[in-house]
Parts: sequence; structure tokens; C-alpha cells
Amino acid sequence: MNYPVWYLPFVGGGTLIALISIVHVFISHFAVGGGLYLVLAERKGLRENNRALLEFTRKHAKFFLLMTMVMGGITGVGIWFIISLVNPAATSVLIHNFVFGWATEWVFFVVEIVAIFVYYYCFGRMDPRTHQAVGWIYFIAAWLSLFIINGIVGFMLTPGGWLGDGNFWSGFFNPSFWPALFFRTFVSLMLAGVYAFVTTSFLKDTELKSVMTRYSARWVLLSLLAAAPAGYWYLSVLPNQARALVEGASPTIMRALHYGILGIVVLVAGTLVLLLLKPSCHTRTVSFLVLAGAFLFMGAFEWTREASRRPYVINEYMYSNAVLKKDRGELEREGFLHGARWVSTRAAGESNLLEAGRELFRNQCHACHTVGGINNDIIARTANMEYPALLGYLGRIHEVRYFMPPFMGNEAEKEALAYYIVKGLHGKDFKVSPEGTAAAGSKGKELFTGHCIICHPESLIKERTARWDRRRIRKGLDKLSALNPAMPDYDGTPEEKELMADYIHSLKTGAGESHDKGKEAFDKHCAMCHSLGQGVNPLLPRMSGWDRERIRKSLDMLDRLKGGMPPLQAPNEEKEALAAFLSRSLQGGVR
Amino acid sequence: MNTLIPTPDAIPAAWGWFQVLLMLVFPLHLVLMNAMLGSTAIAAYAVLRKDETLRGLAWELGKVIPFLIAFAVNLGVAALLFLQVLYGHLFYTSSVLMGVFWLSVVPLLIIAYYSTYLFDFRFPTLARPVAAVLICLPLLIFLAIAFVYSNNLTLMLNPDVWKAYFGNPGGTLLNLGDRVLPARYLHFIVGGTAVGGLFVAVLGRVRKGMDQGVREAAERVGMRVFTVLTGVQIAVGFLFLAALPRPVLLLFMGGDMIATLLLAIGLVTALILLMAGMARRVWLCAGLALPLIYVMSFMRDFVRDGYLKPHFSPESLQVVPQYSPMVMFIVVLAAGLAAVVWMLRKASSALRTTRK
Repeated sequence: MNYPVWYLPFVGGGTLIALISIVHVFISHFAVGGGLYLVLAERKGLRENNRALLEFTRKHAKFFLLMTMVMGGITGVGIWFIISLVNPAATSVLIHNFVFGWATEWVFFVVEIVAIFVYYYCFGRMDPRTHQAVGWIYFIAAWLSLFIINGIVGFMLTPGGWLGDGNFWSGFFNPSFWPALFFRTFVSLMLAGVYAFVTTSFLKDTELKSVMTRYSARWVLLSLLAAAPAGYWYLSVLPNQARALVEGASPTIMRALHYGILGIVVLVAGTLVLLLLKPSCHTRTVSFLVLAGAFLFMGAFEWTREASRRPYVINEYMYSNAVLKKDRGELEREGFLHGARWVSTRAAGESNLLEAGRELFRNQCHACHTVGGINNDIIARTANMEYPALLGYLGRIHEVRYFMPPFMGNEAEKEALAYYIVKGLHGKDFKVSPEGTAAAGSKGKELFTGHCIICHPESLIKERTARWDRRRIRKGLDKLSALNPAMPDYDGTPEEKELMADYIHSLKTGAGESHDKGKEAFDKHCAMCHSLGQGVNPLLPRMSGWDRERIRKSLDMLDRLKGGMPPLQAPNEEKEALAAFLSRSLQGGVR
Repeated sequence: MNTLIPTPDAIPAAWGWFQVLLMLVFPLHLVLMNAMLGSTAIAAYAVLRKDETLRGLAWELGKVIPFLIAFAVNLGVAALLFLQVLYGHLFYTSSVLMGVFWLSVVPLLIIAYYSTYLFDFRFPTLARPVAAVLICLPLLIFLAIAFVYSNNLTLMLNPDVWKAYFGNPGGTLLNLGDRVLPARYLHFIVGGTAVGGLFVAVLGRVRKGMDQGVREAAERVGMRVFTVLTGVQIAVGFLFLAALPRPVLLLFMGGDMIATLLLAIGLVTALILLMAGMARRVWLCAGLALPLIYVMSFMRDFVRDGYLKPHFSPESLQVVPQYSPMVMFIVVLAAGLAAVVWMLRKASSALRTTRK
């Protein structure tokens, strides 16, 4: 709200950040581990007095230089550019709090550049001892760069004591600092081996190729082995909410992790089977396949790390949309537009619903949602929602989906945002009134629309529950996260769950039909002796306090109930419909 | 007060520290950038001319350009860091307004960088048209990047034109309506290429391993470019000065004594450089050009403050002091520079004793 929002409806800033940063991270970690690989490979060549190996190291250094200096260096600047464009407020916090951290990292960057130039251009022209020392200087400077950046990046996920004291060191040596440092160090050593597969695949000397392939494979496998406990340690220090997202509560993280696992499988299989056990199979294709596997793995790691701090960009301090957590209460009281700088309207009212809604969307939602675009498309996400449902959802969006920031604005602004999405983006016609177009006539449908439809259209639920009986549906509603960890549990009352279960169950037979079928069954089997609420032998007073489950059970044992009724001769489906009808009637639906 | 100007964040040390650091690294960034631009322009000229000696010069420059890019980028990072500490709220805003162009700097630079490496590593086997493409492409890219930078760094000084965002939030704005922009851009390009020419001449003097004819060509062409463009630059400088808004212009006309003095020193130094250039006094020119670049950078700082005076001054930034990280930086800087000096000395001696 302090800065203008770069509006990219199709691509979205998040995609651009991911694109640039994943490429950068894949290279910059290589820039660390690869430095050690160069020094140790050269040492091996020197000890064995192996000129071919030294020549290989020189060529690998050239590849390393071209890869890390150009792509690595410039995409590093690129990350800086893109984060300041997409989230200038958060970038400003990072720059102002850690300016001397960045400045220190810059010094290491200078040392790295000079060292790698001297290392490559003086290869074979400098006494080996000094040359090795230059290589070590490069590696140490590169690792110290990692040390610094790791502190600042980790701060965003786990700001730790900084939240209380605002101190540089509290933020820098944050709770995830050490595990992340170990994890990244091992990953960088792993990447050193993976990239070396590429250069070794170009070797014509088969013996050297075999030796260096095995040598590189050991780097990959040993580093991966060491990275595993470091990764576990890293995971264990995450805040509970972040860990829950990583462990399944976030669908995008789950998707990323699937890719990551695929990447690891390709990486390990390629390294283990082809390269370590059978180096002769080492071809350029295999090396690029392994590289692709490592890329998937790194991409998944970075994606997961970024996504796990949602809904924040700086955990517990600033939301992804740059609104500060501490401002939430005030924004809900005073309104968002009132205090925002880069908006075209200062308040939401009947005359400017679309404009106000658009501004709210850009300032609060566009940080993660595109409009008809390639990532997190708001149009697809809200396709099933009518205005009242969306309005209700906006009010408890953060509670239902932890990784979404809460809507921060007053009631009029919330209505404007819902209006903009439903009318402005979907072009649906309706009247603005919270009760206006509610799913009238069916409370179950109303509840379904308010809670489920954001992710599940009716057709999908109908398909998923096609083989489920009503009891199973009802049971599922008690623990949605057991069905899928990404689903938040439904916090409705037992009565609401009954109604929702009825509605979902009725989808199989067609919405609305359930009511008719239930009424039909009542008329057919009960009406001869019972009225519902008033009249002859009213049924409802006798069932007062019964839940849907109890009604359904009793329909199976009418002959054992007091009063000597005949058993109900009806198919299961008819009993379900009758139970739903009676239950709804008890809730006040029909008298 | 312009309501679109974001609220800046607090800084961890008195603003003067950052100003000193900015003014220390920015002129060095300019020197590298000028050398990079001028060397690329002269290498392009040398490739396009059908002359064997000039072809040799093109290759020699091709070997140097990737180094220049690396250090220009590196020093640019430092300058941009300290700029963001003091002026970040203005700079981020103007960057967002022209986000598409600003971000395009990244892929463009990667293309230019790889192109110069190809030019360097493959030069002996390159056909002339291919070599011409590989060196002209980065030249055009550098000119384009300079234009993007000129736009951003003038747009950040003009909050009054920021409201154009409401008609175009997609990041495709430029500051083309600013009448200072063309003169400013020209000033940097012409001055930059002139200094680049001087760099090429110096290279001819110091690279003793180069072919004698090539060394002479480097000095001849470099000094010619330097002298002619310094003459042009004096004229462009006046144009730039005249195009400045009146309150800013008046700073250099007695409104501020230091600014006026800097202008006088700059002008006199430029005239001496012109004469020294005509006399092909390479070392005298080099010795004067570096301080002149610092003088010009300080003048540039006065221009920035003059523009921003109605809106913002770095003195107004809130300071929440934390000096221990600064101590870490200074210690690491000293150690880092010591390591750099040690490595360069070792490299220089190694390359001298094993000259091919």
C-alpha cells in the first residue's frame, strides 16, 4: 500500500520471481561447491602428476567461469531487480535492515570475481601452490557469500528474535540459519558433482572420463546423503504453520514436492546406476538428464521454501501483499483505501464498487493471483462462487486457508472486492446484498456454497462421492484434513454438517430432487399414520433433538421402536432421502 | 507534498555514511562502465574497418571487455545498494512504473555478456560479419541499457509525473516527456565513450605484450576518440546544463558555492583534457580524467538533491543506529582488498614470467 503495484495480469510477479530465482539458485550453489571441486580436482591432478586431469580441470574452470560469472552473476542482480519490482516494500525492509550484510556480501563477490579470473587465466602459468591458494580463496569467499545470503533469506522465513528487537544479528542468526547453511552447503557440493557430469561427458579420453565420472558421482551421492539429515533438521526448526504447509496443507507445495521427488529419483538413479556402477554409459544425454533432475530438485526446494512462509513475505511481519501484520486491525476499522498511496479511489461505495474492488484486488490479491493468467488464476479459482459465497469467504479467508492473507479492509471494501471479482471479472449479474442471491431454499446448499465451492465445484464433489453413502459423507465432514491434508477442517456445528451431508448426498440423485424424494417417501410410507408437525400423530415432536444419523438408524428398526410400527420396506436410497427430509424438517425446513 | 511518495524505511547509520560510500563506489562504477562502452565501440569500429592492425586491436579489446563488464556490474551492485538505502522509496517507485524496461536489462545484459565472451574466445576463427555482429550487438545493448537507466534515474526525481501510473500500471512507462532526458543521456553516452577511448589508449601503453602496431593503433584511435568526444562533450554539457530546471540550474550559477565551484573545476579540467588530448598526453589525460569523473559525480549529486528538494532529503531519514554490522563490513572490506591485492600481484608476476 506504500508502493505502486506492477500489474501483470497474465504472468504475475510471483512467476517471474520463481523463474529468475530458481535459475539463479541452481547456478549460485554450483558457484560455491564447484569452487571446491576445482581445487580438489586440481590437487588430485597435481598429486597424481596427471596432465590430462589438470587439463580437464582447466576446461572445467572455463565452463565454471562462463556459467557462474555470466548467468550466475547477472541472474543474481536479476533477483534483486525482480523482487524490488514485485514487492518493493519487502525489498526495502531487507535492504535497510541488512545493508551492511549485503555490503559484506558484495566484498566477497569482488574477491570471487578476482579469484576466479586469476584462477582460470593463470592455470598452468602460476606455481601450483599459489594457484591452489587462489582456488581456496575463491571457494572460501563463495561460501562466505552463501553464509551471508543464507542469513538474510532465512530471516524472511524465520525472523526469530528480530520481530521483538529489530536487531541485525537477531534477524541474521535466525532459527533456520544453521540448518539451512548446512543443507545449502551440501546441496552446493552435490551440484558441483552434477555439473561436472556435463564437462566429463565431453571427455574423449575414456580412462580419464571413467575416473572423473566416478569421482564426480561420489560428490553427488555423499553430499546428498549429508544433505538428508540437514534437510530434516531444517524442517524441524520451521514454525508450526510453515511445517504444516510443507507437510501437506498447501496444494502448491505438494505439487512442488512431487516434482522434487521426481527430480531426486532421476538424479540418484542417473548417478548411481549409470555413472557410479557403469561409467561407460555416461553420455551427454545422461549428464543433461541428471542435470535436469537436479534442477527439478532445486526448483522444488526453492518453491517450497518460498511458499512455506505464506501468507507472509517476512514471516509474522509483512504479508505477501506487503501489508504489515500489525496494521490489520486498523485497516479493518478504517478501511484500506483510505490510507493506501497508490490507489485511484479513497473509499468504497455504491457508486464505485468496480473501481474500488479493482484497486483492492491489485493491492491485496495480485501479489499471488493472476487474472486469466498462468499462475493461480483468480478467475478459475472463483468460477464456482456466487457473490454471497465469495463475500462470506473473504471474511474468513485466512482462517479457512492459512496461507492466504486475511482480507484487510472494512465491510464496504470487502463487498467491493467481491463485486469486482463476481461482476467485473466473471460478468455475473446480481444485486449487492449479503442475502441477495444466497442459495435460497436449501440451507445445505448455502453452506456448501459458502465453504466448499471455492475449491470444489458441485460436479467434482458429485463425482468424488459417487460411491459414498451418506454416512461416509457425514463422517468425512468431521475430519476433512484426513481426506486430504491440503483441506482445512470444516468448523461448522453438527447440525450444519448434517445439512451439508444431506446436500452433498443429494447431488448424486440431483440437487433438489432429494427433497422431493424424501417428501415422496414420507407421503408413501408415513403419511397414512403421521403428520409432520401439526395434525394427526405428529412425528416431529417425538423426534425432537434427534440428529440425522439417529433418524436414519431408526428407519432400519421401526418394528423395534415403541408403538409397534411395521418395518420400513424401502430401498436404502429412499431411506436416505426420507431421513434427509425428516432431518431438514426438524431444522425448520418443512413443517 | 506529493502524496504518491512512499514512506521510506529507517536507516541503521547516519545518512552521511551511505552518502560517502555511494560517492566512493559510484564514480568507480562509471569509470568501468565508460571503459566498457568505449572499448566495445572502438572494437566494433575496428572490426568494421578492413585493416589487419585494427582487427588485432579488436581482438585485444575483446579480451578485456568481459573483465570490464564483470567489474562494472560488480561496482554497479554496490552503487545500487547504497542508492537504495538513501533513495530506495523513490527508486523502487520509478522502477515499478517502467518495470518491463527495467527488468529487460537482465536478459539484455546476459546476451551482451555472452556475446563478448564468444567474441573473445572464438575471435581467430570468426568471419568478419559474425565478429561484427558479436561486438555490435553488445554495443547496441549497452546503449539501450544506458537509456533505460537514464529514464529510471530521472523518473525517480520527478514524482510529479508518477500519476501516469493510473493510466498505465503495466510497467511500460518511460520518462520521455522530460526535456532533460535527451541531453542527459547524450551527456553520459558521449562522455562515457570519450573516457572509454582514453582507456583504450592507456591499454595500448600498458599492455606490453601486445603487437607494437596494435599498441600504436590503440593509442591513436583511443586518443582521437577521447579528444573529439571531449570537445563534443563540452558542448553537450552546456546543453544539459541549460535543459535543467531553473532552480537546479541556479545551484551551479552561484546558488550554491560548492556546486558552482565544482562546475568551474569541471569545465577547466575538461578544457585542459581537450588540449592534453590534442597533444596525445595519455598519462596526463588519465591522471585528470579520474578526478574529473569524481567532480562530475558530485555535480550529479547536486542535480539530484536540487530536483528532490521540494519532496525529500536524505537528512530527513529516521536513523535507528546499529553500528556493529558496519564494523563487520569495514573489517571484511579490508581483508577482501588485501586478498585482491595479493592475488593480483601474484597473477601479474605469473603472467609476466610466462608471457606467451
